[in-house]
Amino acid sequence: MATERREVVEAGGRSGRLWLAPIALLYLIALIAPISFFLVMSVFRYSALELWVPTVTGENFARLLGDAYHRAIIVRTLKIALLTTIGCLALGYPLAWYLARTASAWRGLLMFLVIAPLMTGVIVRTYGWIVLLGSEGTINTILRGLGLVDRPLKILHTELAVLIALVHILLPYMVFPLFAALAGQDPDLERAAHTLGAGRARTFLEVTLPLSRPGILMGSALVFTLTAGAVVTPALMGGKDVRMLGQTIYELTMSTLNWPLASAVAFVLVLCQFAILLVYFRSGRRRAA
Amino acid sequence: MAKTILELQGVVKRYGATLGVGPVDVDVREGEFLTLLGPSGCGKTTTLHVVAGLLFPDQGRVVLGARDITRLDPQNRDMGLVFQNYALFPHKTVFDNVAFGLRMRRTPRAEIAGRVRRVLDMVGLPGVEARLPGQLSGGQRQRVALARALVIEPTVLLLDEPLSNLDAVLRKRMRLDLRELQQHLGIATIFVTHDQDEAFEISDRVVLLNRGRVEQVGTPEELYDDPATRFAAEFIGETNLIEGVVAAAAGAIVTVDTSVGARYEAFAPGRSLRGGDPVYVMIRPERIDLVPERPAGGVAMPATVSKRVFAGDVITFELRTEHGLLLRCSKPSVAEYRALAPGAPVWAVVRDCRALPRDGDGEA
Repeated sequence: MATERREVVEAGGRSGRLWLAPIALLYLIALIAPISFFLVMSVFRYSALELWVPTVTGENFARLLGDAYHRAIIVRTLKIALLTTIGCLALGYPLAWYLARTASAWRGLLMFLVIAPLMTGVIVRTYGWIVLLGSEGTINTILRGLGLVDRPLKILHTELAVLIALVHILLPYMVFPLFAALAGQDPDLERAAHTLGAGRARTFLEVTLPLSRPGILMGSALVFTLTAGAVVTPALMGGKDVRMLGQTIYELTMSTLNWPLASAVAFVLVLCQFAILLVYFRSGRRRAA
Repeated sequence: MAKTILELQGVVKRYGATLGVGPVDVDVREGEFLTLLGPSGCGKTTTLHVVAGLLFPDQGRVVLGARDITRLDPQNRDMGLVFQNYALFPHKTVFDNVAFGLRMRRTPRAEIAGRVRRVLDMVGLPGVEARLPGQLSGGQRQRVALARALVIEPTVLLLDEPLSNLDAVLRKRMRLDLRELQQHLGIATIFVTHDQDEAFEISDRVVLLNRGRVEQVGTPEELYDDPATRFAAEFIGETNLIEGVVAAAAGAIVTVDTSVGARYEAFAPGRSLRGGDPVYVMIRPERIDLVPERPAGGVAMPATVSKRVFAGDVITFELRTEHGLLLRCSKPSVAEYRALAPGAPVWAVVRDCRALPRDGDGEA
């Protein structure tokens, strides 16, 4: 399989690569240039008067990694990204499996329901969760109405609230790679496992699960990087209590106007995301070899 | 006659409202090579999946030995199935693929290693244990799939068109290898194919399926010489069919009047045809002699060669008789027949023919 794919790419040859020029240009302007910009900025000195002075210094990184406040934000970001990934995987795998295997007439509708959240904005969906989870929100009203709690539970502005909203918002990014990996499996493989003596559970563990690994890795890489860089959802759901790296960069850039420190934070964030992608590609390559 | 070890009794499988197969009755005897033959969509693979337990029938029973296994899960059936596309696990090495069935049976590790090696030797593929299926050729994959099915020592070996993805030369060789291996192991085998040559070359008996039903069961000779229906006659080999009506019946010999002048003495064993029954007279192309002069007896028709197709060892002629009947006739590629060109006058002598019932439902 892998060799076939390589041949197709090679057949595209030079003229095939030419088609990549527009996207290469876009990446240069929208990705490489800004990253280079803040890479440089992150080692400049902050100045309250001139914003920055072009003197090379390590003080931004020293401050970021040195004080407990910023360290906590980094740890929290990684923790929430990891938990969101696990949450999406736990909810998304059964859903993707069902979508890939069902012959039901409802499949089309279910696929639509998975995509539907992508059609409304992140902000709209986040406000939806605020309405549900707030202290005067639907869930607290019901809990109090039933007499299960005396005072409203604090759900909004907790890590749990951020987690719930992120899992909901990012679920499609997990479901679709998983669906593609599962739907692409030859159904005869599971049949072969059955005839050789494997029950449903063994067949899943020995055949279905390992073969869906590319989907698991792809979905996890997407969800993890998107969570780690999320700004709006953590800001609205977590408020001031649950700070993550995204908001921190936003505030340092827009309100505090400490661009060198903002750049250093951005650098750490991008580093985390690249680390995840690296793990993804390395494990993908190991499988192909 | 060998004992029956597997039996399908009145098996019916529906897909929604549409009928997949059935009712189908098939029996497999000990050590037998049985082929399910038929055009695509005739229900051969469905039938095989019912045997393997991958599909449960809507009606009927599957009996293995004396045991009803109709509702038994596939993992408890001990049947080795080789898939058309082999269905090797792409993420497991050849060793792990072959060892899979043994691991599921909790065979001790040391024993697994030995059995995997022996079965790979047996299928003629030693030394590939560490490779992944993607690194093997089509023929090698086919052998690994066979090894994986055989290593569990199945009670019945099921083969779903296992040769159809191989090129012509390899297919012929694998066919013979497969037959030899099957006879060596003495394992009852059900083989599915749409290729009549393959079925005939390899099988003890053939089950001819059409539109989910059994059209005929018999040895290759029985199916070729004495097809039970028009479908059977046309699906297997080349044939000439002439519509007629039984004029007189005397035991297995019937006299048939046809619309094209001639009166045939046809053989119809076990058919109990009676005067007035509509029938086909079936004449195989190689059972027609071509002679230059009117022969003394038998059914002979003056005809003209209208077409001649040279295929190396055989020449196929299309003859037009004076009554306008078209007959296909095949002759060995020797001087006397090579000389016959289109337009040449000949006498066509029907050496033997069969009568088979014509009910109007035999349309292929």
